[in-house]
Amino acid sequence: MRPKLKTRLQQGFLWLVAVAFFLPVLWIFLAAFKTAGQILAVPPSWIFRPTLQGLTYMASHQAFWTHALNSVVISLSAVVLAIIVSFVAAYSFSRFRLRGTDFMMFVLLSIRMVPGAAVVVPMYLMYTALGWINTYPGIILFYTMFSIPFSVWILKGFIDGVSPRFDEAAQSDGASRLHVMFRIVLPQVLPGIVAAFIFNTIFVWNEFLFDFIIGGNQVATIPVALASGLYTSQGIDWQYIASLTFVYTLPLMVVIYFFQKYLLVGMTFGTVRGEV
Amino acid sequence: MPPSVAPWWRRRLPPPLFAWLLVVPVLAFFAIWNIVPLLWMIGLSFYRYILTFGVNPVYVGLQNFSQILQDYNVWAHIGLTVLFVIGAVGVETLLGVLLGFAFWGQTTLPGRRLALTLLFSPMVLAPVAVGTFFRLIYDPMYGILPYYIHQFFGVPAPNLLGNGSTAFLSVLATDVWMWTPFMILMTIAALGAVPRAMLEASAVDRLSIPRRLRYVIWPHAKFILVLGVLLRTIDAFKTFGLVSAMTAGGPGNATQLISLTLYREAFDSFSMGSASALALFALFIAIAFTSIYLFVLNYQKREVAAE
Repeated sequence: MRPKLKTRLQQGFLWLVAVAFFLPVLWIFLAAFKTAGQILAVPPSWIFRPTLQGLTYMASHQAFWTHALNSVVISLSAVVLAIIVSFVAAYSFSRFRLRGTDFMMFVLLSIRMVPGAAVVVPMYLMYTALGWINTYPGIILFYTMFSIPFSVWILKGFIDGVSPRFDEAAQSDGASRLHVMFRIVLPQVLPGIVAAFIFNTIFVWNEFLFDFIIGGNQVATIPVALASGLYTSQGIDWQYIASLTFVYTLPLMVVIYFFQKYLLVGMTFGTVRGEV
Repeated sequence: MPPSVAPWWRRRLPPPLFAWLLVVPVLAFFAIWNIVPLLWMIGLSFYRYILTFGVNPVYVGLQNFSQILQDYNVWAHIGLTVLFVIGAVGVETLLGVLLGFAFWGQTTLPGRRLALTLLFSPMVLAPVAVGTFFRLIYDPMYGILPYYIHQFFGVPAPNLLGNGSTAFLSVLATDVWMWTPFMILMTIAALGAVPRAMLEASAVDRLSIPRRLRYVIWPHAKFILVLGVLLRTIDAFKTFGLVSAMTAGGPGNATQLISLTLYREAFDSFSMGSASALALFALFIAIAFTSIYLFVLNYQKREVAAE
Protein backbone atom coordinates (compact mmCIF):
# COMPACT_ATOMS: atom_id res chain seq x y z
CA MET A 1 0.00 0.00 0.00
CA ARG A 2 2.87 2.42 0.62
CA PRO A 3 3.70 3.35 -2.97
CA LYS A 4 0.05 4.09 -3.56
CA LEU A 5 -0.07 6.52 -0.66
CA LYS A 6 3.08 8.19 -1.95
CA THR A 7 1.50 8.63 -5.39
CA ARG A 8 -1.63 10.03 -3.80
CA LEU A 9 0.39 12.54 -1.81
CA GLN A 10 2.33 13.62 -4.86
CA GLN A 11 -0.83 14.02 -6.89
CA GLY A 12 -2.39 16.01 -4.09
CA PHE A 13 0.66 18.26 -4.06
CA LEU A 14 0.42 18.87 -7.81
CA TRP A 15 -3.22 19.84 -7.52
CA LEU A 16 -2.33 22.14 -4.66
CA VAL A 17 0.28 23.88 -6.84
CA ALA A 18 -2.19 24.25 -9.70
CA VAL A 19 -4.89 25.68 -7.46
CA ALA A 20 -2.39 28.02 -5.78
CA PHE A 21 -1.51 29.57 -9.11
CA PHE A 22 -5.17 29.83 -9.98
CA LEU A 23 -6.14 31.48 -6.70
CA PRO A 24 -5.68 35.15 -7.75
CA VAL A 25 -7.63 34.45 -10.94
CA LEU A 26 -10.36 32.82 -8.87
CA TRP A 27 -10.44 35.90 -6.67
CA ILE A 28 -11.07 38.06 -9.76
CA PHE A 29 -13.73 35.65 -11.01
CA LEU A 30 -15.51 35.61 -7.65
CA ALA A 31 -15.53 39.40 -7.60
CA ALA A 32 -17.59 39.37 -10.79
CA PHE A 33 -20.42 37.79 -8.79
CA LYS A 34 -20.24 40.13 -5.82
CA THR A 35 -21.85 43.42 -5.03
CA ALA A 36 -19.58 46.46 -4.94
CA GLY A 37 -19.64 46.31 -1.15
CA GLN A 38 -18.67 42.64 -1.02
CA ILE A 39 -15.69 43.22 -3.33
CA LEU A 40 -14.22 45.73 -0.89
CA ALA A 41 -15.34 43.83 2.23
CA VAL A 42 -12.85 43.45 5.09
CA PRO A 43 -12.32 40.64 6.03
CA PRO A 44 -12.43 39.24 2.48
CA SER A 45 -15.58 37.23 1.82
CA TRP A 46 -14.95 33.88 0.16
CA ILE A 47 -18.43 32.57 0.74
CA PHE A 48 -21.30 34.80 -0.27
CA ARG A 49 -24.58 34.77 -2.10
CA PRO A 50 -23.61 35.28 -5.77
CA THR A 51 -25.32 38.07 -7.63
CA LEU A 52 -25.54 38.81 -11.33
CA GLN A 53 -25.85 42.51 -10.58
CA GLY A 54 -22.33 43.30 -11.87
CA LEU A 55 -22.72 41.36 -15.08
CA THR A 56 -26.16 42.72 -15.93
CA TYR A 57 -24.98 46.22 -15.11
CA MET A 58 -22.06 45.71 -17.50
CA ALA A 59 -24.31 44.29 -20.21
CA SER A 60 -26.53 47.36 -19.98
CA HIS A 61 -23.59 49.56 -20.99
CA GLN A 62 -23.45 50.35 -24.67
CA ALA A 63 -19.67 50.86 -24.32
CA PHE A 64 -19.17 47.28 -23.19
CA TRP A 65 -20.71 45.87 -26.35
CA THR A 66 -18.63 48.21 -28.50
CA HIS A 67 -15.42 47.15 -26.77
CA ALA A 68 -16.28 43.46 -26.86
CA LEU A 69 -17.25 43.57 -30.52
CA ASN A 70 -14.06 45.46 -31.35
CA SER A 71 -11.97 42.89 -29.49
CA VAL A 72 -13.55 40.01 -31.41
CA VAL A 73 -13.62 41.63 -34.84
CA ILE A 74 -10.12 43.09 -34.69
CA SER A 75 -8.36 40.01 -33.34
CA LEU A 76 -10.13 37.51 -35.59
CA SER A 77 -9.80 39.44 -38.84
CA ALA A 78 -6.15 40.36 -38.21
CA VAL A 79 -5.20 36.79 -37.37
CA VAL A 80 -7.03 35.22 -40.32
CA LEU A 81 -5.38 37.66 -42.71
CA ALA A 82 -1.99 37.05 -41.12
CA ILE A 83 -2.31 33.29 -41.42
CA ILE A 84 -3.22 33.45 -45.11
CA VAL A 85 -0.24 35.57 -46.10
CA SER A 86 2.05 33.70 -43.69
CA PHE A 87 1.10 30.30 -45.05
CA VAL A 88 2.06 31.10 -48.64
CA ALA A 89 5.26 32.81 -47.50
CA ALA A 90 6.16 29.94 -45.19
CA TYR A 91 5.57 27.50 -48.06
CA SER A 92 7.96 29.47 -50.21
CA PHE A 93 10.56 29.74 -47.42
CA SER A 94 10.33 26.03 -46.76
CA ARG A 95 10.31 24.69 -50.33
CA PHE A 96 12.27 27.14 -52.45
CA ARG A 97 14.83 28.36 -49.91
CA LEU A 98 15.28 31.68 -51.64
CA ARG A 99 18.40 33.63 -50.87
CA GLY A 100 17.93 35.50 -47.62
CA THR A 101 15.39 33.07 -46.18
CA ASP A 102 17.34 32.59 -42.96
CA PHE A 103 17.91 36.31 -42.64
CA MET A 104 14.23 37.01 -43.18
CA MET A 105 13.28 34.47 -40.51
CA PHE A 106 15.73 36.13 -38.13
CA VAL A 107 14.38 39.60 -38.85
CA LEU A 108 10.80 38.44 -38.38
CA LEU A 109 11.58 36.97 -34.99
CA SER A 110 13.54 40.08 -33.97
CA ILE A 111 10.71 42.49 -34.65
CA ARG A 112 8.49 40.46 -32.37
CA MET A 113 11.11 40.73 -29.62
CA VAL A 114 11.40 44.52 -29.66
CA PRO A 115 9.61 46.23 -26.75
CA GLY A 116 6.27 47.58 -27.93
CA ALA A 117 7.00 50.95 -26.37
CA ALA A 118 9.94 51.34 -28.77
CA VAL A 119 7.92 50.55 -31.88
CA VAL A 120 4.89 52.56 -30.98
CA VAL A 121 6.58 55.97 -31.37
CA PRO A 122 7.33 55.85 -35.12
CA MET A 123 4.12 53.88 -35.65
CA TYR A 124 2.15 56.70 -34.04
CA LEU A 125 3.85 59.34 -36.19
CA MET A 126 3.31 57.31 -39.34
CA TYR A 127 -0.34 56.67 -38.53
CA THR A 128 -0.90 60.36 -37.76
CA ALA A 129 0.74 61.42 -41.00
CA LEU A 130 -1.31 58.96 -43.05
CA GLY A 131 -4.53 59.60 -41.15
CA TRP A 132 -4.88 55.96 -40.13
CA ILE A 133 -5.37 56.66 -36.42
CA ASN A 134 -8.66 55.30 -35.06
CA THR A 135 -9.65 53.42 -38.22
CA TYR A 136 -10.49 49.74 -38.48
CA PRO A 137 -8.23 49.02 -41.47
CA GLY A 138 -5.38 50.79 -39.70
CA ILE A 139 -5.61 48.82 -36.51
CA ILE A 140 -6.46 45.49 -38.17
CA LEU A 141 -3.55 45.69 -40.60
CA PHE A 142 -1.21 46.61 -37.78
CA TYR A 143 -2.26 43.55 -35.82
CA THR A 144 -1.87 41.49 -38.98
CA MET A 145 1.78 42.48 -39.07
CA PHE A 146 1.91 41.82 -35.34
CA SER A 147 0.76 38.22 -35.99
CA ILE A 148 2.84 37.48 -39.08
CA PRO A 149 6.23 36.66 -37.49
CA PHE A 150 4.86 33.98 -35.21
CA SER A 151 2.65 32.54 -37.96
CA VAL A 152 5.52 32.30 -40.43
CA TRP A 153 7.77 30.66 -37.83
CA ILE A 154 5.24 28.09 -36.75
CA LEU A 155 3.98 27.28 -40.27
CA LYS A 156 7.47 26.98 -41.73
CA GLY A 157 8.28 24.50 -38.97
CA PHE A 158 5.24 22.42 -39.81
CA ILE A 159 5.75 22.60 -43.59
CA ASP A 160 9.39 21.54 -43.15
CA GLY A 161 7.96 18.42 -41.53
CA VAL A 162 5.98 17.51 -44.68
CA SER A 163 8.21 15.65 -47.10
CA PRO A 164 8.71 17.39 -50.49
CA ARG A 165 8.05 13.99 -52.06
CA PHE A 166 4.35 14.71 -51.65
CA ASP A 167 4.81 17.83 -53.78
CA GLU A 168 6.81 15.97 -56.39
CA ALA A 169 4.39 13.07 -56.59
CA ALA A 170 1.41 15.39 -57.00
CA GLN A 171 3.20 17.53 -59.57
CA SER A 172 4.17 14.53 -61.67
CA ASP A 173 0.51 13.58 -61.60
CA GLY A 174 -0.17 16.93 -63.21
CA ALA A 175 -1.33 18.94 -60.23
CA SER A 176 -0.79 22.68 -60.38
CA ARG A 177 1.46 24.42 -57.85
CA LEU A 178 -1.52 25.99 -56.13
CA HIS A 179 -3.19 22.59 -55.93
CA VAL A 180 -0.05 21.17 -54.28
CA MET A 181 0.11 24.04 -51.85
CA PHE A 182 -3.51 24.15 -50.77
CA ARG A 183 -4.74 20.61 -51.35
CA ILE A 184 -1.66 18.50 -50.59
CA VAL A 185 0.40 20.46 -48.05
CA LEU A 186 -2.23 22.54 -46.29
CA PRO A 187 -4.26 19.60 -44.91
CA GLN A 188 -1.10 18.11 -43.45
CA VAL A 189 -0.17 21.26 -41.52
CA LEU A 190 -3.64 21.93 -40.11
CA PRO A 191 -2.38 21.52 -36.52
CA GLY A 192 0.11 24.31 -37.21
CA ILE A 193 -2.65 26.53 -38.59
CA VAL A 194 -4.80 25.85 -35.54
CA ALA A 195 -1.92 26.60 -33.16
CA ALA A 196 -1.00 29.80 -35.01
CA PHE A 197 -4.62 30.86 -35.05
CA ILE A 198 -5.19 30.26 -31.35
CA PHE A 199 -2.04 31.83 -30.01
CA ASN A 200 -2.03 34.85 -32.28
CA THR A 201 -5.63 35.45 -31.31
CA ILE A 202 -4.64 35.31 -27.64
CA PHE A 203 -1.74 37.73 -28.20
CA VAL A 204 -3.83 40.23 -30.12
CA TRP A 205 -6.74 39.77 -27.71
CA ASN A 206 -4.44 40.74 -24.82
CA GLU A 207 -2.54 43.52 -26.57
CA PHE A 208 -3.24 46.95 -25.24
CA LEU A 209 -0.49 49.47 -25.97
CA PHE A 210 -0.93 49.78 -29.72
CA ASP A 211 -4.68 49.90 -29.67
CA PHE A 212 -4.38 52.56 -26.98
CA ILE A 213 -1.97 54.74 -28.99
CA ILE A 214 -2.81 54.21 -32.66
CA GLY A 215 -6.45 53.33 -32.03
CA GLY A 216 -9.07 55.55 -30.50
CA ASN A 217 -12.63 55.58 -29.26
CA GLN A 218 -14.02 53.91 -32.31
CA VAL A 219 -11.70 50.89 -32.26
CA ALA A 220 -11.01 50.59 -28.50
CA THR A 221 -10.84 47.01 -27.27
CA ILE A 222 -11.50 45.60 -23.80
CA PRO A 223 -7.87 45.89 -22.54
CA VAL A 224 -7.91 49.56 -23.48
CA ALA A 225 -11.18 49.98 -21.60
CA LEU A 226 -9.58 48.30 -18.59
CA ALA A 227 -6.42 50.38 -18.74
CA SER A 228 -7.97 53.74 -19.35
CA GLY A 229 -9.76 53.21 -16.07
CA LEU A 230 -13.42 52.95 -15.30
CA TYR A 231 -14.22 55.54 -12.72
CA THR A 232 -17.48 56.44 -11.09
CA SER A 233 -18.06 59.39 -8.82
CA GLN A 234 -17.05 57.17 -5.89
CA GLY A 235 -13.72 56.16 -7.39
CA ILE A 236 -12.72 53.12 -9.39
CA ASP A 237 -15.64 50.95 -10.44
CA TRP A 238 -14.27 47.59 -9.27
CA GLN A 239 -17.51 45.77 -9.98
CA TYR A 240 -17.36 46.74 -13.63
CA ILE A 241 -13.65 45.89 -13.84
CA ALA A 242 -14.21 42.48 -12.25
CA SER A 243 -17.11 41.62 -14.53
CA LEU A 244 -15.19 42.80 -17.56
CA THR A 245 -12.08 40.81 -16.61
CA PHE A 246 -14.20 37.71 -15.98
CA VAL A 247 -16.01 37.84 -19.32
CA TYR A 248 -12.78 38.67 -21.07
CA THR A 249 -10.64 35.94 -19.46
CA LEU A 250 -13.05 33.01 -19.44
CA PRO A 251 -12.76 32.33 -23.20
CA LEU A 252 -8.97 32.14 -22.84
CA MET A 253 -9.25 29.52 -20.13
CA VAL A 254 -11.67 27.47 -22.22
CA VAL A 255 -9.27 27.69 -25.16
CA ILE A 256 -6.24 26.48 -23.20
CA TYR A 257 -8.34 23.67 -21.76
CA PHE A 258 -9.23 22.34 -25.20
CA PHE A 259 -6.01 23.16 -27.04
CA GLN A 260 -3.52 22.38 -24.32
CA LYS A 261 -1.24 20.43 -26.61
CA TYR A 262 -0.45 23.55 -28.60
CA LEU A 263 0.53 25.55 -25.53
CA LEU A 264 4.24 24.85 -25.81
CA VAL A 265 4.59 25.66 -29.48
CA GLY A 266 2.37 28.69 -28.95
CA MET A 267 4.24 30.21 -26.05
CA THR A 268 7.63 29.79 -27.75
CA PHE A 269 6.61 31.49 -31.02
CA GLY A 270 6.75 28.21 -32.86
CA THR A 271 10.42 27.61 -32.13
CA VAL A 272 10.01 24.67 -29.74
CA ARG A 273 7.84 21.74 -30.77
CA GLY A 274 6.38 19.22 -28.41
CA GLU A 275 3.48 18.46 -26.16
CA VAL A 276 2.93 18.87 -22.46
CA MET B 1 -1.03 25.92 -87.05
CA PRO B 2 1.66 26.60 -84.50
CA PRO B 3 2.01 24.10 -81.65
CA SER B 4 -0.64 24.88 -79.11
CA VAL B 5 0.62 27.05 -76.31
CA ALA B 6 -1.26 27.12 -73.04
CA PRO B 7 -2.83 30.47 -72.26
CA TRP B 8 -0.68 32.61 -69.97
CA TRP B 9 -2.63 31.82 -66.85
CA ARG B 10 -2.18 28.08 -67.37
CA ARG B 11 1.53 28.34 -68.00
CA ARG B 12 3.86 27.48 -65.14
CA LEU B 13 5.82 30.36 -63.76
CA PRO B 14 9.52 29.70 -63.43
CA PRO B 15 10.12 28.52 -59.85
CA PRO B 16 12.07 31.55 -58.55
CA LEU B 17 9.40 33.95 -59.75
CA PHE B 18 6.66 31.84 -58.20
CA ALA B 19 8.59 31.62 -54.95
CA TRP B 20 9.05 35.37 -54.79
CA LEU B 21 5.41 35.95 -55.61
CA LEU B 22 4.40 33.95 -52.56
CA VAL B 23 6.58 36.07 -50.30
CA VAL B 24 5.40 39.40 -51.69
CA PRO B 25 2.43 39.92 -49.30
CA VAL B 26 4.56 39.32 -46.22
CA LEU B 27 7.29 41.55 -47.63
CA ALA B 28 4.74 44.27 -48.31
CA PHE B 29 3.49 44.14 -44.72
CA PHE B 30 7.06 44.10 -43.54
CA ALA B 31 8.01 47.13 -45.62
CA ILE B 32 5.04 49.27 -44.62
CA TRP B 33 4.84 48.37 -40.93
CA ASN B 34 8.51 47.88 -40.16
CA ILE B 35 10.91 49.42 -42.66
CA VAL B 36 9.06 52.73 -42.95
CA PRO B 37 8.67 53.25 -39.19
CA LEU B 38 12.25 52.13 -38.63
CA LEU B 39 13.63 54.65 -41.11
CA TRP B 40 11.33 57.25 -39.63
CA MET B 41 12.66 56.47 -36.18
CA ILE B 42 16.30 56.56 -37.27
CA GLY B 43 15.72 59.87 -38.99
CA LEU B 44 13.89 61.41 -36.06
CA SER B 45 16.57 60.40 -33.60
CA PHE B 46 18.75 63.15 -35.09
CA TYR B 47 16.13 65.82 -34.58
CA ARG B 48 14.63 67.72 -31.72
CA TYR B 49 10.92 67.37 -32.20
CA ILE B 50 8.46 68.23 -29.44
CA LEU B 51 5.04 67.29 -30.75
CA THR B 52 3.05 69.80 -28.69
CA PHE B 53 5.16 72.86 -29.56
CA GLY B 54 3.92 73.02 -33.11
CA VAL B 55 7.48 73.71 -34.24
CA ASN B 56 9.08 71.82 -37.11
CA PRO B 57 11.77 69.30 -36.20
CA VAL B 58 15.21 70.84 -35.68
CA TYR B 59 18.29 68.92 -36.74
CA VAL B 60 20.52 68.42 -33.70
CA GLY B 61 22.91 65.72 -34.89
CA LEU B 62 23.87 63.23 -32.22
CA GLN B 63 22.64 65.40 -29.36
CA ASN B 64 19.76 63.06 -28.47
CA PHE B 65 22.15 60.14 -28.11
CA SER B 66 24.71 62.05 -26.07
CA GLN B 67 21.91 63.32 -23.86
CA ILE B 68 20.68 59.79 -23.19
CA LEU B 69 24.17 58.56 -22.43
CA GLN B 70 24.61 61.36 -19.92
CA ASP B 71 21.15 61.21 -18.43
CA TYR B 72 21.41 59.82 -14.95
CA ASN B 73 17.70 58.93 -14.89
CA VAL B 74 17.84 56.83 -18.02
CA TRP B 75 20.72 54.80 -16.61
CA ALA B 76 18.88 54.44 -13.32
CA HIS B 77 15.84 53.07 -15.16
CA ILE B 78 17.98 50.72 -17.21
CA GLY B 79 19.58 49.53 -13.98
CA LEU B 80 16.16 49.01 -12.45
CA THR B 81 15.05 47.06 -15.53
CA VAL B 82 18.13 44.83 -15.35
CA LEU B 83 17.45 44.23 -11.67
CA PHE B 84 13.83 43.41 -12.48
CA VAL B 85 14.78 41.03 -15.29
CA ILE B 86 17.41 39.22 -13.22
CA GLY B 87 15.15 38.97 -10.18
CA ALA B 88 12.05 37.88 -12.06
CA VAL B 89 13.72 35.43 -14.44
CA GLY B 90 15.91 34.04 -11.65
CA VAL B 91 13.05 33.28 -9.30
CA GLU B 92 10.81 32.04 -12.10
CA THR B 93 13.48 29.67 -13.37
CA LEU B 94 14.24 28.29 -9.93
CA LEU B 95 10.59 27.78 -9.01
CA GLY B 96 9.67 26.61 -12.49
CA VAL B 97 12.37 23.95 -12.62
CA LEU B 98 11.58 22.65 -9.14
CA LEU B 99 7.85 22.44 -9.83
CA GLY B 100 8.48 21.18 -13.36
CA PHE B 101 10.27 18.16 -11.91
CA ALA B 102 7.23 17.49 -9.72
CA PHE B 103 4.98 17.49 -12.80
CA TRP B 104 7.38 15.36 -14.83
CA GLY B 105 5.84 12.16 -16.11
CA GLN B 106 2.63 12.67 -14.12
CA THR B 107 0.44 11.55 -16.98
CA THR B 108 -1.99 9.70 -14.74
CA LEU B 109 -2.84 12.66 -12.51
CA PRO B 110 -6.63 12.65 -12.11
CA GLY B 111 -8.08 15.66 -13.90
CA ARG B 112 -4.67 16.49 -15.35
CA ARG B 113 -6.04 18.65 -18.11
CA LEU B 114 -8.04 20.79 -15.75
CA ALA B 115 -5.14 21.03 -13.31
CA LEU B 116 -2.80 22.20 -16.07
CA THR B 117 -5.40 24.69 -17.31
CA LEU B 118 -5.58 26.19 -13.82
CA LEU B 119 -1.80 26.14 -13.53
CA PHE B 120 -1.24 27.84 -16.87
CA SER B 121 -4.08 30.34 -16.53
CA PRO B 122 -1.94 33.25 -15.23
CA MET B 123 0.18 33.49 -18.37
CA VAL B 124 -2.70 33.88 -20.81
CA LEU B 125 -4.27 36.73 -18.87
CA ALA B 126 -3.92 40.23 -20.27
CA PRO B 127 -1.11 41.94 -18.31
CA VAL B 128 -3.25 45.06 -18.15
CA ALA B 129 -6.10 43.15 -16.53
CA VAL B 130 -3.70 41.53 -14.07
CA GLY B 131 -2.08 44.86 -13.21
CA THR B 132 -5.42 46.56 -12.68
CA PHE B 133 -6.79 43.87 -10.44
CA PHE B 134 -3.62 43.38 -8.42
CA ARG B 135 -3.93 47.02 -7.47
CA LEU B 136 -7.01 45.96 -5.55
CA ILE B 137 -5.36 42.82 -4.18
CA TYR B 138 -2.47 44.93 -2.81
CA ASP B 139 -4.69 47.83 -1.66
CA PRO B 140 -3.82 48.78 1.95
CA MET B 141 -7.47 49.36 2.91
CA TYR B 142 -9.44 46.74 1.01
CA GLY B 143 -6.77 44.43 -0.37
CA ILE B 144 -6.86 40.73 0.44
CA LEU B 145 -3.09 40.37 0.67
CA PRO B 146 -2.43 43.05 3.32
CA TYR B 147 -5.37 41.61 5.26
CA TYR B 148 -3.87 38.11 5.40
CA ILE B 149 -0.38 39.47 6.10
CA HIS B 150 -1.88 41.24 9.09
CA GLN B 151 -3.65 38.06 10.18
CA PHE B 152 -0.60 35.81 9.93
CA PHE B 153 2.14 38.08 11.19
CA GLY B 154 0.09 40.16 13.60
CA VAL B 155 1.53 43.41 12.27
CA PRO B 156 -0.21 45.66 9.77
CA ALA B 157 1.28 45.27 6.30
CA PRO B 158 3.02 48.32 4.85
CA ASN B 159 1.32 50.10 1.98
CA LEU B 160 2.72 47.68 -0.57
CA LEU B 161 2.36 49.77 -3.71
CA GLY B 162 2.86 53.05 -1.84
CA ASN B 163 6.49 52.52 -0.83
CA GLY B 164 9.32 52.46 -3.31
CA SER B 165 11.00 49.23 -2.19
CA THR B 166 7.84 47.23 -1.52
CA ALA B 167 6.27 48.46 -4.76
CA PHE B 168 9.19 47.09 -6.75
CA LEU B 169 8.99 43.75 -4.95
CA SER B 170 5.21 43.64 -5.35
CA VAL B 171 5.47 44.13 -9.10
CA LEU B 172 8.24 41.53 -9.19
CA ALA B 173 6.12 39.07 -7.21
CA THR B 174 3.21 39.57 -9.60
CA ASP B 175 5.46 38.89 -12.55
CA VAL B 176 6.75 35.76 -10.83
CA TRP B 177 3.21 34.58 -10.27
CA MET B 178 2.30 35.23 -13.91
CA TRP B 179 5.33 33.63 -15.52
CA THR B 180 6.50 30.80 -13.26
CA PRO B 181 3.95 28.56 -15.05
CA PHE B 182 5.80 29.31 -18.29
CA MET B 183 9.04 27.99 -16.81
CA ILE B 184 7.16 24.95 -15.49
CA LEU B 185 5.90 24.38 -19.03
CA MET B 186 9.42 24.68 -20.45
CA THR B 187 10.81 22.36 -17.78
CA ILE B 188 8.20 19.71 -18.53
CA ALA B 189 9.06 20.03 -22.24
CA ALA B 190 12.80 19.91 -21.52
CA LEU B 191 12.45 16.78 -19.38
CA GLY B 192 10.29 15.26 -22.09
CA ALA B 193 13.32 15.48 -24.40
CA VAL B 194 15.26 13.00 -22.24
CA PRO B 195 15.06 9.54 -23.83
CA ARG B 196 13.13 7.14 -21.64
CA ALA B 197 15.51 4.28 -22.36
CA MET B 198 18.43 6.20 -20.93
CA LEU B 199 16.48 7.01 -17.78
CA GLU B 200 15.56 3.37 -17.33
CA ALA B 201 19.14 2.32 -17.93
CA SER B 202 20.37 4.77 -15.34
CA ALA B 203 17.81 3.44 -12.87
CA VAL B 204 18.94 -0.12 -13.51
CA ASP B 205 22.55 0.96 -13.04
CA ARG B 206 21.57 2.67 -9.77
CA LEU B 207 23.20 5.91 -10.78
CA SER B 208 22.97 8.42 -7.92
CA ILE B 209 20.45 11.24 -8.38
CA PRO B 210 23.05 14.03 -8.82
CA ARG B 211 24.86 11.94 -11.42
CA ARG B 212 21.62 11.19 -13.19
CA LEU B 213 20.93 14.92 -13.34
CA ARG B 214 24.42 15.71 -14.55
CA TYR B 215 25.02 12.96 -17.11
CA VAL B 216 21.58 11.79 -18.23
CA ILE B 217 19.08 14.59 -17.83
CA TRP B 218 21.07 17.78 -18.30
CA PRO B 219 22.61 16.96 -21.71
CA HIS B 220 19.14 16.43 -23.19
CA ALA B 221 17.16 18.99 -21.25
CA LYS B 222 19.54 21.94 -21.38
CA PHE B 223 18.54 23.40 -24.74
CA ILE B 224 14.84 23.80 -24.17
CA LEU B 225 15.56 25.10 -20.69
CA VAL B 226 18.02 27.70 -22.02
CA LEU B 227 15.54 28.70 -24.71
CA GLY B 228 12.93 29.17 -22.00
CA VAL B 229 15.21 31.37 -19.94
CA LEU B 230 16.11 33.46 -22.99
CA LEU B 231 12.50 33.92 -24.06
CA ARG B 232 11.57 34.90 -20.53
CA THR B 233 14.48 37.37 -20.42
CA ILE B 234 13.38 39.03 -23.64
CA ASP B 235 9.82 39.16 -22.40
CA ALA B 236 10.67 40.52 -18.96
CA PHE B 237 12.74 43.22 -20.62
CA LYS B 238 9.60 44.26 -22.52
CA THR B 239 7.32 44.36 -19.45
CA PHE B 240 4.93 47.24 -19.92
CA GLY B 241 1.23 46.55 -19.47
CA LEU B 242 1.63 45.01 -16.03
CA VAL B 243 3.61 47.89 -14.51
CA SER B 244 1.74 50.62 -16.29
CA ALA B 245 -1.57 49.34 -14.94
CA MET B 246 -0.24 48.52 -11.48
CA THR B 247 1.95 51.47 -10.52
CA ALA B 248 2.48 53.56 -13.67
CA GLY B 249 6.17 53.57 -12.73
CA GLY B 250 5.60 55.02 -9.26
CA PRO B 251 5.79 55.76 -6.47
CA GLY B 252 8.43 58.25 -7.52
CA ASN B 253 10.38 56.25 -10.06
CA ALA B 254 10.56 53.06 -8.02
CA THR B 255 9.04 50.83 -10.70
CA GLN B 256 9.98 52.86 -13.75
CA LEU B 257 11.12 50.16 -16.15
CA ILE B 258 12.77 51.23 -19.37
CA SER B 259 9.70 50.58 -21.54
CA LEU B 260 7.77 52.98 -19.32
CA THR B 261 10.50 55.59 -19.65
CA LEU B 262 10.26 55.23 -23.39
CA TYR B 263 6.52 55.56 -23.33
CA ARG B 264 6.60 58.63 -21.09
CA GLU B 265 9.29 60.34 -23.12
CA ALA B 266 7.07 60.00 -26.18
CA PHE B 267 3.59 60.46 -24.81
CA ASP B 268 4.01 62.52 -21.63
CA SER B 269 6.83 64.81 -22.76
CA PHE B 270 5.92 64.40 -26.46
CA SER B 271 9.62 64.53 -27.13
CA MET B 272 9.67 62.32 -30.22
CA GLY B 273 13.32 62.84 -31.13
CA SER B 274 14.84 61.63 -27.90
CA ALA B 275 12.20 58.91 -27.58
CA SER B 276 13.30 57.63 -30.99
CA ALA B 277 16.94 57.65 -29.93
CA LEU B 278 16.06 55.67 -26.82
CA ALA B 279 13.93 53.30 -28.88
CA LEU B 280 16.93 52.56 -31.08
CA PHE B 281 18.85 51.36 -28.03
CA ALA B 282 15.96 49.08 -27.11
CA LEU B 283 15.94 47.79 -30.69
CA PHE B 284 19.62 46.86 -30.54
CA ILE B 285 19.16 45.04 -27.26
CA ALA B 286 16.24 43.07 -28.71
CA ILE B 287 18.23 42.14 -31.82
CA ALA B 288 21.16 41.03 -29.68
CA PHE B 289 18.94 38.78 -27.59
CA THR B 290 17.21 37.34 -30.66
CA SER B 291 20.61 36.49 -32.14
CA ILE B 292 21.59 34.64 -28.99
CA TYR B 293 18.24 32.84 -29.00
CA LEU B 294 18.57 31.71 -32.61
CA PHE B 295 22.18 30.72 -32.06
CA VAL B 296 21.11 28.36 -29.28
CA LEU B 297 18.18 27.11 -31.35
CA ASN B 298 20.35 26.31 -34.40
CA TYR B 299 23.04 24.80 -32.21
CA GLN B 300 20.44 22.46 -30.78
CA LYS B 301 19.17 21.53 -34.25
CA ARG B 302 22.68 20.72 -35.41
CA GLU B 303 23.32 18.64 -32.32
CA VAL B 304 20.04 16.74 -32.74
CA ALA B 305 20.82 16.16 -36.41
CA ALA B 306 24.30 14.88 -35.52
CA GLU B 307 22.94 12.28 -33.13
